This record gives sequence, C-alpha cells and structure tokens, in this order.
Amino acid sequence: MIRFGRGHRLRHARLQVILAVAAIATAVALPVVLVSVGGGVSAHELAMLQNAGYQIVVSAAGLHGIAHAHPLTEQILSLPSVAAASPVLSIAIDSFPAGPGATPVLAEGVIPVGFGPTLGPEESGLFPLPLPLGDPTDAVHFDNGSYRGPATYDVLVSSPFAEATRVTTGGHLLLGLTNEVSGAISYNVTGTFGVPPTVLGPVGAFAVLVPLSDLQVMTGFANAPHVPVPDAADTVEVAVVPSATSNPEVISSLRDRVQSLVPYYGVSSLSQEATQLQSATAVLTGFYLALSSVGLSVGLVFLTLVLLRRVESERRSIGIRRAIGEPGGSIAAAVVVDGVVIASLGAVVGIAAGYLVVEGLATWAHSTVQEAARLAEFVPLTLTELAGGVVGLSLVAGALAARSALRIDLAEALR
Amino acid sequence: MKEPHAPTLELLGVTRTFDPGEADEVRALRGVDLTVAPGEFASLEGPSGCGKTTLLNLVGLLDAPTSGEVRWDGRSLGGRKDRERARLRLEGVGFIFQRFYLLPALTARENVELPMRALGVPRGDRQARASDLLSEVGLSGRERAFPHQLSGGEEQRVAVARALANRPGLLLADEPTGELDRVNTEGILTLLEKVRADRGATLLLVTHNPSVARRAHRHLTLEDGRVTADVREA
Repeated sequence: MIRFGRGHRLRHARLQVILAVAAIATAVALPVVLVSVGGGVSAHELAMLQNAGYQIVVSAAGLHGIAHAHPLTEQILSLPSVAAASPVLSIAIDSFPAGPGATPVLAEGVIPVGFGPTLGPEESGLFPLPLPLGDPTDAVHFDNGSYRGPATYDVLVSSPFAEATRVTTGGHLLLGLTNEVSGAISYNVTGTFGVPPTVLGPVGAFAVLVPLSDLQVMTGFANAPHVPVPDAADTVEVAVVPSATSNPEVISSLRDRVQSLVPYYGVSSLSQEATQLQSATAVLTGFYLALSSVGLSVGLVFLTLVLLRRVESERRSIGIRRAIGEPGGSIAAAVVVDGVVIASLGAVVGIAAGYLVVEGLATWAHSTVQEAARLAEFVPLTLTELAGGVVGLSLVAGALAARSALRIDLAEALR
Repeated sequence: MKEPHAPTLELLGVTRTFDPGEADEVRALRGVDLTVAPGEFASLEGPSGCGKTTLLNLVGLLDAPTSGEVRWDGRSLGGRKDRERARLRLEGVGFIFQRFYLLPALTARENVELPMRALGVPRGDRQARASDLLSEVGLSGRERAFPHQLSGGEEQRVAVARALANRPGLLLADEPTGELDRVNTEGILTLLEKVRADRGATLLLVTHNPSVARRAHRHLTLEDGRVTADVREA
C-alpha cells in the first residue's frame, strides 16, 4: 500500500503520486462533464418529445416549406384516429412596443382551435385556452386559398416579452416584417402565455402567437388583392385520439396514411424521433468517451510510469522483502493495489471535479451553456462504470509494474 | 510458529559465474565443497571479491549456483520454484546485512513484524513478539522509532531482531559490523553469540575484520572463489 515516510526521496514519491492522481482526475473529469451535460440535454429533449401533445409531425425542407397548409390540415383532420392537427409557421419579425425602436420576436402562426390539443400537459398550462385569437378556425379571412379579410389582428405575447416591454393585455402592439415602423401593423394584445424552460435561453422567450393567416398576410403577399399567397407552414403537428396515444401500431398506421397524402414531405412519429434522438445520444456518448479515452490513456500511461518509477526507487526495499521471504505474489499485489488506489483516488477526484465544473457552468456561464449545464444529469451507473473502467485499466498498469518488481535480481538489489 | 531447526548445510562442487560467455564474465565461486553442522558459528573471511557474499547468497537461497548443489539436511535445493525458495527463506533463514536494510517507511517494530506478517502471524501475536524481540536486543521503548531516528548500532539491533522474528535455524550475517564503531561492534557480536547459543541456530558470518572473525568457532577462508582454509577451534 502507499505509505510515505520522510526525506527528500519520499517527498518526491508523494509528488509523483499526487501528479498521477491529478492526471487521472483530469482525464475522468472531461467525460463526466461531456456525458452528464450531453446526456442531460438529450434527456430533456426526449422528455419534451415524450410529453408533447402530438404524436406525428409533417415537415418539409426549406424555409416555410409546407404549401397549402390549411387544406392539408383539413385532409389530415378527416383521417380516422386524428384528434387535432395544427400547422405552425415560425418567422422572426420585429415588434415596436415603445415607439420606432424595433425589438425582434419569434412569431408563431397557428390555427387557434387546432393548437391547444397538440400541446403537452406541461405546455397547455402555459396558454389561455381556447386561444383568444379571433376566429378559432382561422377561416374568416381565409377561404379556398384566398384571403378575404379582414384580419382580426389579435396577438398573444409571451410573459417575458410582456414584462420586458411593459406590453399589457388590452393594449396594442405594432408588428412588422422589417424594422421600419411605418410598415408595421397594429395588433390587439388579447393575452399572455408562459414560456417553458428551454436551452435557447431568454432570447427564445421573446415570442408572439398570431393566427396563421395573419402571419402569412404579414409576409406581404396578401396586400395585393386577389393574389394567392403561399399558404405556408413549417410543420403540421398531428394529435391522435386519447385511446390511440399509447398504441404504436395505430400511430404507425396513421403516419403511413399521412405520408401517402404528402409523399414529398417528411412525416415522422415522435416515437421515431425519440428513437433517433436516443441513437444520436448513444453515438454522441460513445464519441465523448472515445474522445475522453485519449486523456484516459495519457493518464494511465502516466500512472504506469509512476508505478514503474516507484518499483525502481523501491528496488532495494522490494529486494529486502523478498530476501526475508515475502512471497512474490504479495509484493506484486502490493504494487497492483498501489495502482488501484491511485486510480480510484483519481476517479473520485475526477468525478467530483467534473461535478464542480458543471455546477460552475450552471452558475456562472451565460445563456446556452448555462442552460445546458443546468440540465446536466449525473447518472450513478454511468459514473460507476466510468470509475470502474479506470480502475480496471489501472490493473493493467499495476500488472506491468508488478512484473517489473518480480524481475528484480535479489542479489543485485541487496548489493 | 514452529521451533527453530538448524539444518546441516552442504555445498557440493558449487560454482557461480556471472554473465557467462560475456566479455565481463565473473567466476565468483569455482567449485566449493563445504559442510556446516547445525549450531555451528563459522566465519567467512577473505579479500574483497573473493566470493564471500555470493556464497552466503547461495546458502540463503537468494541466488542459485551455476553448477553444483546446495543441500539442506541432505535435500537438494536446486530446481525449486521461487515461491518454494521464498517459503524456505521465510521459515528457515534470518539475514543480517552490513547496511541494515531496514525499510525506511516502517517503524522499528513494523520492520521486525515484516517476516511474521509474510508468514501470516496474527497482528496481535506479531506485535507482541516484535516488542519482545526489540526488548531482547536492548531496544525497549524504541518500537515506534523510524530507522532515520536510530543510531547505526540501534538499526543493526533492529535488523537482528527482524532476522530472529520467525525463529530461523540459520542466521546469515554479511559484514554485520562493517558500518559500526568498536562499541557497537562488540554489542552486536555479543548479541549474535547469545541468540545463537539460546536458539541453537547456525551462524554464518562474513567479515573482513580479524577481531570479529576470532569470535567464531570455525574459520573459513575464501580466495579467488575457492575455500583455501577451514580451521576449527579446539
């Protein structure tokens, strides 16, 4: 076992052990940070997927790639087992809450009656339902692909935005596609909604919710009478009836039917996305560990060198022990135990250091990094496996040093 | 723990050559024939490099002969595995070295406990026996001292106590007084004579010093790897 006495040589040995512990700790801390933060973010995303109120999502490549969003939604709603369908169009626009100065916001255009049922249990509590956004079906100023108007110009604003800009329910808010206030349209603020925790940070919390066709109109096309505008959306989220939510076969069958309606768009079920996310997480975790294995290898090479150096510096002591009659196995075991103790110390210190780094990032880092660090998950099994792996590899280092100890020529060591 | 048994030592045509066939080949022993009876006190004398320590190492199973045989009680020790040789050393041999060779990180008592620990003696028993042995060599009260806190004479006394820990029948001392002053030399020799007599152990002592050698009952002289004189006192 590691035992230090006095004197310069022993102080030197102590320094070597401390450095070896530090090397292994550094090598362990890196995967602890990467795996805990990466795993935490993935778990958060997975939880959001699993808690979503919709089970199928239609998406298309390109900016606002879904055309004919309203009729497509009607078609999907006519399919069996569909409870709700909600096209969503997301565009960054400008708002003018106090004079000509523009404040960017994320605008989401939705069909009010379809949006509510596609929210998950956590999200639905954040919105005033039914959404106070004029015509619930968004059909007043949209009919057969033509805008008839007039728009209601109702808007819901996120509570962080409302607090920051002092916009209140019952007031008005100018919204426009550009930062020119002259082109902005006045909207009636009919309420606020909460924002769920997000890794995007406070910037993502500045959002407004408007009827889908209002947002489409704001793109400018509808200002020209009788000119069809692209009935665009980014996604159409589809919720199934409650009896089918936990039935993978029904969801899979429905996904196929939606796909047959829009063979040129991507249609995926959340369970597919969850599986893909889990696969991606597993790949990333493997990548993190592979990356960390470089550091671990360096740490273990260092440990091997330290153990070999200790055997060399303890050559005479080992010779004395063997001369006395101590079995070689006992001496080899002591060397291996030294290696395991150093590696275990390094693993424990590394895990603690990794934890402190993540805590530090969660406290002092800014925006996205801080949010990601706050989502970190320290899974005891993963940490135990990591420490076990390090200790296991230290056995190899110990075995190499023990082999060297057993090869010491007794007569020479005692000369 | 078993009672001490002093074996009959026999060396039959023993040679030891280091780096055979190399340019720097050293023929340390060149056909040594020797028998040492149980309980004998023999000194090994001779000039530096004549093979005294090599012979002691062969008798004590720290080394193996290039040719010839080393026997204990008529049993050949050639071809034994390391583990078996270690066990024979542990139970049967007590080594005392010129430079004491105490482990610096262990206290005096822990150094004495070492052979007993290797033998599996329970902690309480070995602590008690180590304290008794230290008391016997005149170091009562110094159990917790580290080697660097002891004088040369005290260190060698600890080494003697360690050599006696497992009640060996064979004591091998390689220049045990080589680094001690006259007073300490006298003390160590008296101690060795006493423990040999008390335990009936065989004592083989390597020395350069004629006054030390005179304390032995048999005087072996080695020159150039051969025993050139073997004198028994009347």
